[in-house]
Amino acid sequence: MAEAVPVGIERLEHFESVGQQREAAALGMWAWLLTELLLFAGLFLIALILRILHPKAVTLATTHLKFWIGAANTAVLICSSFTMSGAIELSRLGWQRGMLRCMLATAGLGTLFLCLKGFEYYEDFVEHMVPFLAQPYALAGDPATRLFVDVYFVTTGLHAVHLFTGVSILLVLTWMASRPMFLQKHQNRIEIYGLYWHFIDLIWIIVFPVLYVLNR
Amino acid sequence: MTQEERRLLWRHMRMPALSFVALMVLLAVNVALGAMLPFGHLWMVEAGVTLCMVLVVLLVSMEVWRDTPLIRVFSMLGFFWVVILFTMTLTDYLGR
Repeated sequence: MAEAVPVGIERLEHFESVGQQREAAALGMWAWLLTELLLFAGLFLIALILRILHPKAVTLATTHLKFWIGAANTAVLICSSFTMSGAIELSRLGWQRGMLRCMLATAGLGTLFLCLKGFEYYEDFVEHMVPFLAQPYALAGDPATRLFVDVYFVTTGLHAVHLFTGVSILLVLTWMASRPMFLQKHQNRIEIYGLYWHFIDLIWIIVFPVLYVLNR
Repeated sequence: MTQEERRLLWRHMRMPALSFVALMVLLAVNVALGAMLPFGHLWMVEAGVTLCMVLVVLLVSMEVWRDTPLIRVFSMLGFFWVVILFTMTLTDYLGR
């Protein structure tokens, strides 16, 4: 049987009500997520412009990307979004133990994503597909491919940094949430953090087709 | 876990479970299209599928559909700016 603990939010003195505090926290997270969205949108736009200006070079470069690792990683992140949603729903029910398990599963799936990404980078290195390193570049005959490969590394690298940060914060939050009284005072922190995790998933859902799939 | 608790859990997890299934199916469509390349101008279908996935995450997983009107407007505004950015830039590149 699941043991439910009391759930709530401790009102801070500068808020009139708990509802106002909850909305302010969500709004603050959205403000930050939108700046992140515009940051990634610039990179997506560069990738699309490269596809318009150098279609053959981009198709050539795309065939060297690890399509199946990208697809597997998308599935891993969708699973992690599901476990994060589970953590949020269980926090609302006050089922602390189940919530903690869901949070750990989310962190585990995030780590699996990073491991697969690391393996993909290693494969790129072995195939001489890392143009900015001091080694021969496999597609040196077509300089325009380098532009797309550079965008690939910047975009996926930036996403990986966000995911690494996300896993680190999630582990700290899990430790905090394991303490008694956490759900009674700070339940909305799980929801606010969930927004960030789903957003990382959303960005990758766009990264995968823009870099790996479109016009392969 | 009692029958009542199981029912309560399902009531809470129904939407996340449905969105999970929807996202997996849409991903399978995009992966199948990318792997098999069955016809030309695939990008239109792939872009449509991606848009559906983004909407599922945004509206269901991030719960924008049941947020307060202020947060709903705020979250949509960011994507509106992205649309302006893409439209103005691509108008230039595609119209040359």
